[in-house]
Amino acid sequence: MHVMGNITIYLAFILSIYAFIVYIIGIRKQDQRFIDSGKGATMSIFILASMSLMLMFALLGTSQFQFEYVAHYTSSDLPLIYKLAALWAGNAGSLLLWTFFLAMYSAMVTFSKKMKRNPMTPYITSILLLNIMFFYFILCFVTQPFALLETVPVEGRGLNPMLQDPGMVFHPVTLYLGYVGLAVPFAFAIASLILKNMDAFWIQMTRRWTIIAWAFLTLGNVIGGYWAYTELGWGGYWAWDPVENASFMPWLTVTAYLHSVMIQERKNMLKIWNLSLIILSYALTLFGTFLVRSGVLTSVHAFGETNLGAYFLVFMAFMVLFSMYLLMSRYHLIKRDTGQFEAYVSKESSFLINNLILLGGTFAIFWGTVFPLVSEAVRGTKVTVGVPFFNTVMSPILLSLLFIMAVCPLIAWQRASFKNIKDNFLVPAFISLAVAIVIVVMGIREAYPVLGFTLITFMIVTHLVEFIRGTRARRQVTKEIVPVALFRLMIRSRRRYGGYIVHLGIALIAFGIVGANFDVERMETLAIGDSMTIGDYTLTYHQLGQRNEGVNESVFASLGIDKNGRDLGYIYPERVFYLNWEEPSTEVAVRSTLREDLYVVLSGWEEDKRATFQVKINPLVQWIWLGSFVLILGTVFAIWGGRYGQIYPRYTGPKRRVY
Amino acid sequence: MKKNTKVLLAGSLIFMSILVLLITATPTSSGAEISINELNEKAYEYKERYITTEGFLIENSVDWNADAIELQFHIQDEDGHILPVYYHGVKPDNFSDDVIVIVHGYVTSDGIFEAEKVQTRCPSVYEGEDPEDYDPDFHRNMDIHLNIDED
Repeated sequence: MHVMGNITIYLAFILSIYAFIVYIIGIRKQDQRFIDSGKGATMSIFILASMSLMLMFALLGTSQFQFEYVAHYTSSDLPLIYKLAALWAGNAGSLLLWTFFLAMYSAMVTFSKKMKRNPMTPYITSILLLNIMFFYFILCFVTQPFALLETVPVEGRGLNPMLQDPGMVFHPVTLYLGYVGLAVPFAFAIASLILKNMDAFWIQMTRRWTIIAWAFLTLGNVIGGYWAYTELGWGGYWAWDPVENASFMPWLTVTAYLHSVMIQERKNMLKIWNLSLIILSYALTLFGTFLVRSGVLTSVHAFGETNLGAYFLVFMAFMVLFSMYLLMSRYHLIKRDTGQFEAYVSKESSFLINNLILLGGTFAIFWGTVFPLVSEAVRGTKVTVGVPFFNTVMSPILLSLLFIMAVCPLIAWQRASFKNIKDNFLVPAFISLAVAIVIVVMGIREAYPVLGFTLITFMIVTHLVEFIRGTRARRQVTKEIVPVALFRLMIRSRRRYGGYIVHLGIALIAFGIVGANFDVERMETLAIGDSMTIGDYTLTYHQLGQRNEGVNESVFASLGIDKNGRDLGYIYPERVFYLNWEEPSTEVAVRSTLREDLYVVLSGWEEDKRATFQVKINPLVQWIWLGSFVLILGTVFAIWGGRYGQIYPRYTGPKRRVY
Repeated sequence: MKKNTKVLLAGSLIFMSILVLLITATPTSSGAEISINELNEKAYEYKERYITTEGFLIENSVDWNADAIELQFHIQDEDGHILPVYYHGVKPDNFSDDVIVIVHGYVTSDGIFEAEKVQTRCPSVYEGEDPEDYDPDFHRNMDIHLNIDED
């Protein structure tokens, strides 16, 4: 098994070098035979990567502790699902997963029906092969997944309790699918630069790719937040930790990219901008990996300190310099026949503003994340900026984004007249003003929440108006009944209405984020029979008990909940003693409603059964998860089938004899 | 001036305002990340600054007062420099020997670190304990310590 595993890795590494070389020769000599050989190698790499992955799953599933990785991250008593999920618990395994996705995407692009006989394909595959080569280099020489231990341990070390959570099963996979997915549009962009093909072909071709990668990136972040919220027990979902920032930054730049490409498609503008954005997004995925795996920053998430980060930094620098060189050398070509802005108040300019704000946000997060490193280099001490910094900077950015999102759908392409602005905005403006007044009357006086809720309302209403106007216009022509008209309207322009649904999802998420700021927290040590009060709730501590959960032992407290005199039943926060782990892990008890979450943590207990509880009321948090659901729904709606699926953009770039 | 140029100018204005926001936000919320050794030596220099530092937990130094919800413990670096920490809060998960404790807070004039946030990180984060070091009596002891009858 050991030999087989290593063969799949080393052979794939050799094949990736081989494939890259024959591709270059094939392109140079314009000889299809070389290219075909490279294609075969690319497919073989994918098959080998699948074999490595299957083998690793088999080893993990059957607890082969002679393998270092298996012994480090699993134990025989672990439930099967976590034995398998341990594949992405450590460095070697997660990089293997990454490599597998990369190989899969490369094979998909190389053998894609749409790209058949397209001279761009060899270039795209070569770029992807560069990535594959790098990852296999790491798997061969830096962190080997199939390394053996000198002595075979009887039992493995087990999986960290924090990772024994459904979040662990989905969060890394979705995040990687997103990260790796960005390599594809990047490769398309670089290929079109090399070929000096300056139209929007690469953008149209990769539109779905990018949207799917973006959706996975979103899911990855949201599941990560949900996991932190329910598993870690500190009562929040986002801490502006360097590692969290690392996955948020590419999300922001890709969001910007998805909007700005629309301007290029329609108006032939912002070409350099789009190329830079996709290069930046791709670079940020590598930068994130560097941050996570190098240990240069103090983070609670980071993998152990290894020299792995350095390799990522070098590779990232190489790829960025290479892309920059291409961009510079093609600058004059890109500049030619670029479109012009036709009016200041137009969809183009509002998209541009949205881009600038998103990019500004990215820069702010980047600044806050690397500030400790920069200051250490400049002044000798690591200066940290902390959560308040991020909140101060990101709140106005979020608010202005909401405003732009509210305004954007109602502004026409090219030119918006004063009259149609008045027509479109009068009703939404009145409604949100009314909401603002209600909020203030209800007793919320801080500027940000009032502004936040008002803008969210404004945004939701302008989007609904868009749906209503579309349906009404359609009905005037077709005389269909309302639901039919609405349905057909949306089906006819999936991209547009899918995008609006995504916006509504964002609005709901923002609603949750603003609301979660009104959290209340209390910490108290209670004896059995004692009560504590928080907000409208009274919690009475009844009992401390113990029970078996499979191989694990759990200590739980039962608390009766009473809200304004109404009995709401019991809540059971617990701490679980995992086998192999000395200290118990928090299992948060949450009672969720759309209005607020009651969040109870059993922090500890004494010998006389007095127990310490951390209790929080987190308003509106559920809306964050709900909004994410709507967002994914919108994404799927936007890319599912439809006319866009059947029509491929026509390649009009330079012709080559190989494809 | 071409419209593109004007739009670009307006765009840079937005970017500039974000930059200004950044620069004004930085000093007020900045803290320092320093080693225990530095903190011991130059405590007066870092007074009233929000500090992040980390060290290994000395387990027998942990003193926990449940009723007041006060946690006191010492952390040390690899060279044995020790920092006493006071925290109004509960033990974080994994709070046991040799775990790396990350503390955020302020240092007082008598050299005690008043933590606002305490986090833990395993030496090699996602790895379990060596099975050879694992004490099978541990869970049993835990039960005795708890004094809970299983019913």
